[in-house]
Amino acid sequence: MTREHNLDPRTKLVIVLCLSTLGIAVNNLALLSAIALLSYVAASLFRANLKRTFRKIKSLIYMLLFIALVQSIFTRGEPLLSAGGFAILTVNGVERALQFILRMAIVIFSATIIGTSSSRSIIQGLVQWKLPYDIAFMAALGIRFLPMLREEIRDSLVAIQLRGIDIKNIPIKERISLYSYLFNPLLVGTLLKAERLSIAMEMRGFRAYDKRTSYLVLKFTKLDYLIMFFSIAITAVFLIISYM
Amino acid sequence: MDVIEISNLYFRYSKREEYLLKGLSLRVRKGELLAITGESGCGKSTLLSIICGIIPHIRKGEIEGEVKLFGREVRDMAIRDISKEVGIVFQDPDSQIFLPTVEDEIAFGPENLMVPREEIGLRIERALKAVNMEEYRLENPNNLSGGQKQLIAIASVLAMETDILLLDEVMSQIDEDGKDKIKRTILNLHREGKTMVIVDHDIDNLSLADRVLELKSGMLREFKGW
Amino acid sequence: MHYIEIRDVDFEYEKGKSVFQNLSLNIDKNETIALMGPNGSGKTTLGKLMAGILKPTKGQVNVFSRDTRDIPLHEIGLRIGYLFQNPEKQFFANTVYDELGFVMKIKGYDEEYIKEKVEEKLEFFQLKGLVNHSPFLLSQGEKQRLAIAAVLMNEPEYLILDEPTTGLDKKRKDMLLNLLFMLKNQGIGMTIISHDRRFVERICSRFIYISRGEIQYDERA
Repeated sequence: MTREHNLDPRTKLVIVLCLSTLGIAVNNLALLSAIALLSYVAASLFRANLKRTFRKIKSLIYMLLFIALVQSIFTRGEPLLSAGGFAILTVNGVERALQFILRMAIVIFSATIIGTSSSRSIIQGLVQWKLPYDIAFMAALGIRFLPMLREEIRDSLVAIQLRGIDIKNIPIKERISLYSYLFNPLLVGTLLKAERLSIAMEMRGFRAYDKRTSYLVLKFTKLDYLIMFFSIAITAVFLIISYM
Repeated sequence: MDVIEISNLYFRYSKREEYLLKGLSLRVRKGELLAITGESGCGKSTLLSIICGIIPHIRKGEIEGEVKLFGREVRDMAIRDISKEVGIVFQDPDSQIFLPTVEDEIAFGPENLMVPREEIGLRIERALKAVNMEEYRLENPNNLSGGQKQLIAIASVLAMETDILLLDEVMSQIDEDGKDKIKRTILNLHREGKTMVIVDHDIDNLSLADRVLELKSGMLREFKGW
Repeated sequence: MHYIEIRDVDFEYEKGKSVFQNLSLNIDKNETIALMGPNGSGKTTLGKLMAGILKPTKGQVNVFSRDTRDIPLHEIGLRIGYLFQNPEKQFFANTVYDELGFVMKIKGYDEEYIKEKVEEKLEFFQLKGLVNHSPFLLSQGEKQRLAIAAVLMNEPEYLILDEPTTGLDKKRKDMLLNLLFMLKNQGIGMTIISHDRRFVERICSRFIYISRGEIQYDERA
């Protein structure tokens, strides 16, 4: 059974690999911006749920901006903004920060492209590419359970506050023990679930044999080949331009 | 014919002093619908784990006595072979279902057993029909109600096409409506000749069975608590 | 003034998926309320709105005359105890003793005082033999008792219990009922969210049935 109206997940993997390669290998800011824009366009074309992704990683974005700022402060070069003889911002620093932000943007946008395929088809794509199926399944399970973690962290915070703890006014000394208390239910919950799930999977024959058949079979269409070809071609072009 | 034969079973978990099961014996006939009840912690789930080989193959414990499926000792069989004869469904649907569509979930078991694609397609249809969930074939199991998820868990195990089905407190976390649907499925499977052992602490769920036993003080006896 | 007031509340989890529209309800402390209905009816959502865990999209939820949007959760928690359907969601410590005492420890209470309070609860809830056990490895019935004991450490005046009978056999349900009666006699008000009609009929004085986001009936025994 094939899933129609959607590109083969392997094609999407190729696109993501191309974009990530460009994101890492290219240093020129103008080119990086173009690649970031391209990633955004690609993600929108795949109708990746960008709004939801943004909401989920909002806190991560703050952290990234902070890292970018730190990078720029600690990079030496031609000063842009100084205070009392000490250069707070330098040209190189700002350049570094922007590079970092653009690279992160590329990674995030391209990651959302993978999210448009179901975990089962991603597993199948990897398996048809000869990755051992148990590794592919483990990876997919991780992907499936990770988003739940965010929900569970929120529930844990709510529950601990309901016990009467004002999380905003804890003395530093107690903060560390607070975190360990907070993570206990998450850790134990996850471990227990993982154990139960692995037993259920094993009782349904998981890893009974070295191979397994698949009801889902992926077949490349002409469109897939076309897109993969163009992705690799465009990547090559960008790389050449970047090294000239 | 005795499909499950247990003689003089003694069992305790590794770090405990007391034996949980003390000389337990049980014979289950082909096609029988057996219910086992008892207080929480009495060992009913442990007993099911022993029947399908989870103990000692996956979980550890000290086990003595005979546990046979179709005449073969469970401890001498590999899980992969046991899984073709016994299927087990647990209490929490979220710890059994993990794939993005119902179809993927039901196909998972047969795929592991290297069943050919066409046959898998047929098994999916049969399993969905047995639990009356055909219209949900491409649905994401996470969007289903608890009762529906359990039906999918049952369907996924049915696709293994085992002769024996073990149901471990499958209705504990389900509302009335869901329970009705599950009970109806169990009765249908019984009519089709499936050998089933249901474990449940709720007496209301036991009336479907041909025979009801109570696990108390480590042994099974006829249930008289109606 | 009612203890909990739900005034013209709208609630939706995501845009377009409305759970309640224009829901109004008044709850008094001296009533023992059963909140019933099928899965997906909104009863758990309602319980969470009452405890301030969720805030209404429109309208107001007042608890002890204050808008839940204006009270920090930890303050609500001192007066209204909330019990999740899955007790594991609210266990944080590695031993039963610590589970009962860690909140006071973080707040800097005296150890002797904490010990006194914890032992009281251990006694009352028959948890003495489990002092050093991990909360996560207890049986369902024991987890239930521990969760209630832990919530009661703050001496709240009201309890909201979400499906407390899940996974309990008849004997344990009877034990839970006895416990709830004892608490009721101490003046603690409660709302029990449950689909177990037979259980709630034995203790509740008011029965609210919700289906598809609407109150279908609201009767007093």
